[in-house]
This record gives sequence, structure tokens and C-alpha cells, in this order.
Amino acid sequence: MNWLSDNVNQLALLGAAVILILTIYVAGKYIRQMKTEKSTGVLAEENWDGIGEYKNELPAGWAYTFLGTIIWGMWYMIAGYPVDGYSQIGEYNDEVAQHTKMFESKWANADHETLKAMGEGVYLVQCSPCHGIAGDGMDGKAADLTVWGSADGVLETIKKGSKGLGFPMGEMPAGLLSGDAAKKVAEYVAGGMKGEQPAEFATCAGCHGPDGKGMGGMAPDISTYGSPDFVQMVLDHGKKGFIGTMVSFKGRLTPIQEKAVGTYILSLSHGE
Amino acid sequence: MFHWLEKRPFFFSVGVFLVIAFAGLIEIVPDFAQASRPVAGTKPYTLLQIAGRQTYIKDSCNACHSQLIRPFKSETDRYGPYSLSGEYAYDRPFLWGSKRTGPDLHRVGEYRTTDWHENHMWEPTSVVPGSIMPAYKHMFHQNVDLETAYAEALTDKIVFNVPYDQPGMPKLGNSKEDFPAAQKMALEEAKKIAAEMKNQDVKDAVARGEIPEIVALIAYLNSLH
Ligand code: HEC
Ligand code: HEC
Ligand code: HEC
Repeated sequence: MNWLSDNVNQLALLGAAVILILTIYVAGKYIRQMKTEKSTGVLAEENWDGIGEYKNELPAGWAYTFLGTIIWGMWYMIAGYPVDGYSQIGEYNDEVAQHTKMFESKWANADHETLKAMGEGVYLVQCSPCHGIAGDGMDGKAADLTVWGSADGVLETIKKGSKGLGFPMGEMPAGLLSGDAAKKVAEYVAGGMKGEQPAEFATCAGCHGPDGKGMGGMAPDISTYGSPDFVQMVLDHGKKGFIGTMVSFKGRLTPIQEKAVGTYILSLSHGE
Repeated sequence: MFHWLEKRPFFFSVGVFLVIAFAGLIEIVPDFAQASRPVAGTKPYTLLQIAGRQTYIKDSCNACHSQLIRPFKSETDRYGPYSLSGEYAYDRPFLWGSKRTGPDLHRVGEYRTTDWHENHMWEPTSVVPGSIMPAYKHMFHQNVDLETAYAEALTDKIVFNVPYDQPGMPKLGNSKEDFPAAQKMALEEAKKIAAEMKNQDVKDAVARGEIPEIVALIAYLNSLH
């Protein structure tokens, strides 16, 4: 009787016994009643082949409830539903609008740490299946975000070139600079292009413009490289590059979420 | 109060019928409304995509994956816009599924890519540590049955009026004459996908004119928007 040690089984057994006893009692009562009782009451006028029927008034409470539901039903069909129509989509839209408003006012001026924490959440859900939980790109399956966005990332780009962001200028060729020159330019670009411009940047200026801003959208604005703005640009564009395809997140994340996830992934390569 | 009805059985039956039919009508009428017509931009499946869909059904992906995004914020955040009835106009049978052991796949084409699927189907834990999804390595060397896919497309066209007569879709009709062209079209599509894959056996097979199941499956998954 091991199974009886489980209290759910005990309860079920008790319930079954109660139902059995009640059934026997109630059925017995009616059988006895049928044997001994004479029926009384007023017969309805009609009978069918000699079989009659007592007039059996509906219990008042039941009848009023029944009538009430019929009236409510008609109201609901004719006025309630079409006029004051509930719809799941409507509820969804309200919920989203409300949430967006709350979200935007609450996090409009979020500080760095808050953005990073929010970004980590977004990252783990949306990005980690491709970039890996640690952001390392899982053996070259996607961009290594522990490098991308830093001076080493620019160096890598100079070495290998870049394609697939969909700029009118097209592809950036590989190996435009090498050695110290490449390093100097990489530091300069990753540093937000502040301070004195190295002479070697002239190689880059042909496409990215002397100020690095991309000549009005012909090439990416690399003066923002290493900032969430640049990540935001990547998320909007998507990228079909040498490693594989990065999907576009246009419309899938809110601007605040994009900024947050940008802040988070850049913290990986900036060593914060 | 009801004796009057009880004494008129024919009239009573008609009354009962009307009351019950009303409930039925309320359910059916919206189906004839514009809302359930194909959503603009919904395209019939190409042969390769149908073959992939058949693979999807054969390997019971729908036992663990749904294809129906409900209008809840938590779902639209994860999967994209909620599903519309008209998006399933060419799905026969639809693959809504009823259980989510894995995530919904109705818009997976928007956020997963050919190379990702290749890694994931070969060995799910290589990209999602701790994944309990089975690996589907056999799809990399088993070929699809394009003739069955053709037959399904033809049936869809004839029986269900699926509009296959448009540019970019295979010509369907006389299977003897039209099948080779349709097969060639599917192979062209397969080549584009194989070009983005890394598995050499798959690339070789496609170069030989074969279509491994994985290629068709990825074509199908990429078509889910
Ligand atoms: C021939 C024109 C051209 C030249 C010269 C050029 N770039 Fe680019 N660069 C591009 C284009 C186009 C892109 C966008 C490529 C893409 O779609 O991925 C780009 C992208 C980049 C990126 C972004 C890479 C990423 O990860 O998204 C960086 C950083 C960059 N260039 C730096 C440089 C530097 C530094 C130089 C100078 C050594 C340079 N570029 C020279 C055209 C050029
Ligand atoms: C479907 C897989 C996939 C998903 C999901 C994904 N990425 Fe990527 N991502 C890639 C691949 C592949 C590359 C490399 C593209 C290339 O250069 O060939 C990449 C590249 C990048 C780059 C470098 C882009 C450049 O200009 O070189 C950044 C930044 C990035 N991803 C951020 C993200 C963020 C943030 C998310 C989540 C919101 C994300 N990715 C989601 C696959 C993905
Ligand atoms: C035993 C249940 C099971 C079966 C059967 C199964 N999957 Fe999965 N699938 C999962 C689970 C669990 C995940 C989440 C973990 C992961 O990404 O691997 C998943 C994830 C996925 C994803 C990634 C979705 C996303 O949004 O990240 C795709 C695509 C996918 N499965 C496709 C398939 C295909 C195609 C088949 C049939 C060949 C299949 N699955 C069969 C359980 C299953």
C-alpha cells in the first residue's frame, strides 16, 4: 500500500468514497420514493397517448436569472460588443503604448551602469545565440565583440577590410595600411578621432572624409566608432560580411535598448 | 408556457434549428470576411521551401516549436510582430503547433541566418550551451524528394487555387514537361544557400545537382517572416 502514503492519493480515495456513499444514499432515497409516493399536483391539459404531465412551475430565482442572461446576451450582441468592443489586439496596443511611455520616461536619462545592465539582458536574449554568452563570437561564428569596437577592432578592419553594411561606397579593401601606420590610425579612430590627426589618415579620408564622418552617408561615420551610436548604425543596417550574416534589428529594439546593448557590448572590448 | 411549442413539433424543430444555426453562423461568417485573405506580400512557397517544409514535418519540428505569435508584449518582444490569419493562407496544413519546448519559429527568418542554422542543426549545443534540441546531422547527407514537393505544389495550385502563376514561381501543370524546369529552379535556389554554408559535403552535393535536406530546411526557415 505504498501509494497510500501520498496525500493526494489519500484525498482522491476519500473523495471517491464520499461520492459512492452519496450516490447510493440519493439513489436509494429516490427509488424508495418512487415505490411508495403517490404523485400530486395539477395536470397540464394535454396528454400524449394517455400519458399526462404535471404543471411544474420554474423556480423563480432560476427563471429570472435565465431571462436576465437572455436580455444581457441580446444587449451584448447588439450594443455591448460592437460599440464597446473588447479586442485582444486593442488590449495589446494599449499595453504596448502604456509600456513604451513608461519605459521611455523612466530610462530617458539612464546612467552608464543602468544602460549596461539593461544591455546585458537584451544581449543575452537577442545576441548571445550568435555572438556567444561571453561575446567572443564562438570560434569565429560571428564578430568577436571582445575585440570589435576597440583599437584592435579597427586594426582588424584595416587588415581584413570590411563589407556588407550596405553603404553606397560598397566594400572597404583589405590591407590599406600596415605596421605602425595602421596602429597609429587605429588608435586615433578608436579614440574618437580626437587630438592631432596622423598623416596616414589621408588613406582613409578618401572614403570616410577628412573628418571621418563618411561623406554624407557614402561610408560609415567612423568618428563614432567604439560608441553606442556606431552599434546602433550596425543594428539598423545588418551586415553580410566575411564572417557571416548579422541580422538587422531595425524596428525590433527601441532606441534606448539599442543604446543599452551598444553600451554593454562595448564594455566587453573596452575592458570595463 | 412552452406547451404551445410542444404541441407544434415541426415549428419547434425549425425554431431549434435556427437558434443553433445562429451560433454556427457567428463562428463561420468572419471566415468569409476580408481579414482572412492572404496578407499583402504573402507568397506561395517555392519548390525548395516546400521540400524543406516537408522535412520540417517529417522530423516533427512542430512537436517542439509553434508558429504562432500571440498578441502579448512578452512574445512580440522576443519573436516580432504577432501573427495574422492571412499569413497562413498558403500553409497546408498550417503548423501552428501546440507546444513550445523550443521557441516560436513564425518569424525566425528575421533573426536567424543560414550559417547560424547550419551550426545549430548540426549540433545545437555548439551555439546554445545547454540546448535540449536534438542534433539533425542526418539532414546533411539525406536528399530531399523534389517530386513529392512538386506534387504538393501542383495540388495546392489546382485544388486550393494557390497563385503559382507569377514571376519567380515554378511553372506547374504538365509534370512531364514542367518538372525539369522546376527542378532546375529549385537547384539554383539551393546553390545560393549552399554558398553561405561551410559544410563541404553539402556544397559538393549541391554542385553535383543534389539537394540535401538541410539546404531545403534552411530555405524554408529563412522564408518564415
Ligand atoms: C575605398 C574606400 C575606403 C577606404 C580607403 C577606407 N574605408 Fe573604411 N570603410 C569603407 C566602407 C565602404 C565601409 C563599410 C564596409 C561595410 O559595409 O562593412 C568601411 C568601414 C570601416 C569601418 C567599420 C568597420 C566595422 O567593423 O563596421 C572602420 C573602422 C573603417 N572603415 C576604418 C577605416 C580606416 C581606419 C581606413 C584607413 C586606413 C579606412 N577605413 C579606409 C570604405 C573605405
Ligand atoms: C543571427 C546571428 C546574429 C545575431 C542574432 C546577432 N548577430 Fe551580430 N553579428 C553576427 C555575425 C555573423 C557578424 C559578423 C558579420 C561579418 O562581419 O561577417 C556580426 C557582427 C556584429 C557586429 C560587428 C559589425 C561590424 O560592423 O563589423 C556587431 C557590433 C554586432 N554583431 C552586434 C550584435 C548585437 C548587439 C546583437 C544583438 C542585438 C547581435 N549582433 C545579434 C551574427 C549575429
Ligand atoms: C525536443 C524538442 C525539439 C525538437 C524536436 C526540435 N527543436 Fe528546435 N529547439 C528546441 C529547443 C529547446 C530550442 C531552444 C534552444 C536552442 O536554441 O537550441 C530550440 C531552438 C530552435 C531554433 C532557434 C530559435 C530561436 O529563436 O533561437 C530553431 C531555428 C529550431 N529550434 C529549429 C528546429 C527545427 C528546424 C527542428 C526540426 C528539424 C527542431 N527545431 C526540432 C527543441 C526542439
